[in-house]
Amino acid sequence: MTEPVASPAGNDVVPADSDVVVPAGLTWRRMHPVTPAVKGWKIVAVLLVIAVQQVGNNVQEAGKLLHGRAWLIGLAIIVGGALIGFGYAAIAWRMTRFAIDDEAVYLHSGVLFRQQRKARLDRLQAVDVVQPVLARILGLAELKLEVAGGAGSGVSLAFLTEDDAAVLRTELLARAAGVRRVEGAVAPTPVPEQNVLEVTPAQLMVGMARSGATIVLVLGVIGLITAVVWSGEIGTIFVVVPATFGFVAFYWGRFSREFNFRAATSPEGIGLRHGLLEARSQTVPPGRVQALRLTQGPFWRGPGWWRVEINVAGYSGTEGQSTENVLLPVGSRDQALVAIWLVLPDLGVADPRALLAAGMDGTGEGEGFTTMPRRARWFDPFAWSRTGFVVTDRALLIRSGWLIRHLTLVPHERTQSLSLEQGPLQRKLGVASLVVHSTPGPVSPRIPHLQAAVAGDLLTEQAARARTARASAGPELWMSLDGDS
Amino acid sequence: MTSQVVPVGPFDPPDVNWALVSPKLAASRLALTAIFLGIPAIGGAVAAILSGIVWLWVIPAVFVAFGLWAVWLIPRQVRAVGYAERADDLLIRKGIMFRSMVVVPYGRMQYVDVQAGPLARAFGIASVQLHTASPSTDAAIDGLTPVEATRLRDKLASRGEARLAGL
Repeated sequence: MTEPVASPAGNDVVPADSDVVVPAGLTWRRMHPVTPAVKGWKIVAVLLVIAVQQVGNNVQEAGKLLHGRAWLIGLAIIVGGALIGFGYAAIAWRMTRFAIDDEAVYLHSGVLFRQQRKARLDRLQAVDVVQPVLARILGLAELKLEVAGGAGSGVSLAFLTEDDAAVLRTELLARAAGVRRVEGAVAPTPVPEQNVLEVTPAQLMVGMARSGATIVLVLGVIGLITAVVWSGEIGTIFVVVPATFGFVAFYWGRFSREFNFRAATSPEGIGLRHGLLEARSQTVPPGRVQALRLTQGPFWRGPGWWRVEINVAGYSGTEGQSTENVLLPVGSRDQALVAIWLVLPDLGVADPRALLAAGMDGTGEGEGFTTMPRRARWFDPFAWSRTGFVVTDRALLIRSGWLIRHLTLVPHERTQSLSLEQGPLQRKLGVASLVVHSTPGPVSPRIPHLQAAVAGDLLTEQAARARTARASAGPELWMSLDGDS
Repeated sequence: MTSQVVPVGPFDPPDVNWALVSPKLAASRLALTAIFLGIPAIGGAVAAILSGIVWLWVIPAVFVAFGLWAVWLIPRQVRAVGYAERADDLLIRKGIMFRSMVVVPYGRMQYVDVQAGPLARAFGIASVQLHTASPSTDAAIDGLTPVEATRLRDKLASRGEARLAGL
């Protein structure tokens, strides 16, 4: 471990890759030669979007333009943009090369501003193979490595052929796991995966139809009809055109990203595959999930469905923006339990099902839960008896939410830091909130309004538990112990 | 004025020796407040004198009132800031009305920053900030003497290095 904990200079932040020392004897490789053709389209797409927006903003003006010769200028701009885009992408392709060794992946890129990046494999948090539509048609794929160095610290190798990406992915994961490559040995073959979770398109659609967005949509439609009848003017409908686009984009985005969702388990870790147009295949090695949260909206309660999201360092996607952080888009109770098992095979209790049942839909003190004290119920009149926590040998479970139910799990060894907070009203009632700091992501664990003494003890105990759990946790190089795997 | 702000209950775990930050932090924060409140107060007063409208004096009066409140509050706030180096983690305590106490295990630290802006340098203080893999870790200690800041940084760094264990 030579990773600098503190920057020697003190007052400036030295990123992990600032002292890139590239060892000699690396085999440098280029991306696939078709890459510029795929990447160049981005600029054309941007120009087209701008053009469409301009037309959309002012249909009449656009009509005049079409009668005149002005549309030729527009076309010229788009063609010129395309030439520049493809030209730039071609030069960028020439300048980009990468190499790997046992320690790291090296990436040199940049046309005007050169960039040399080194991603250490012992810090590898996840590997994604992403195939946007165009790349998918051409049989190409992008390999993305997340190394938990903050935003933009990952390495993206775009584009490789599908086969190259798969081989490289396996090799990188093997090296990150601590399996040393012997000279002359054959490349490691992809390990067999076992699908444990599958979400059918029908299930996904029904799940979305019963989501909170649908409630808003239904209320909006009712409101609109009322408004139209009230005012007697059909023109009112056009006011909601942008909102309609928003809803369509939301549903479509979610459906296409979470389409054909499958979660698998293998020695490499958790494998997640999904996507209708853009296919994404994620691999999260063991012990890389920092926190996990189950969510159940009011209309999922009947069928007992849950959504499971995870925090992984490097996946910093905010909610609704990406599906990197989704472990289960929608699933039955049993599927949710499987999702928890994927992350935490051992909860450290004798009867995990009973404990999780209490965590998912229980209230009160059953199964060892400690809830908000009754005197603090005014802070949260509906959920006060549900809000609570339980500590097992392996994880901290936080139960919360009344209308939208949540169950958050934080493995002890993944606790970053903890804090205790108390406002003046809380002090009057003798309660305090405990916050567990996790890496960026959809899960931000927090236990509000606990009895002050309980919260104080929990802070101290969790800090100690986190320490001991880390000491006994598996190695970062998760396969280095059994050398023959 | 000199009375110690002693929180009780969960914010005062047993066997912890709290180190306090330099009173110069209060001076530096008061100087900043004086600049921000003083300029509009003087502006208001000048406007009141020049125009001769009596009720315009309300403006400087309000700013002066805020200033007096700051003079009362800021030294108390600064005295409420404390930190403690324990065997395996660092504790930082803050706040009077809204209290917070954060525990940062040494093994979770990714890097440590020492910062001193122009005002802080004029008052001879610096701040140390700890970073973990979580951006929500709010572990900054303002108002350390440069010597103490350097010592703390080096000590935290060496302790962190000894205990660092991935993420």
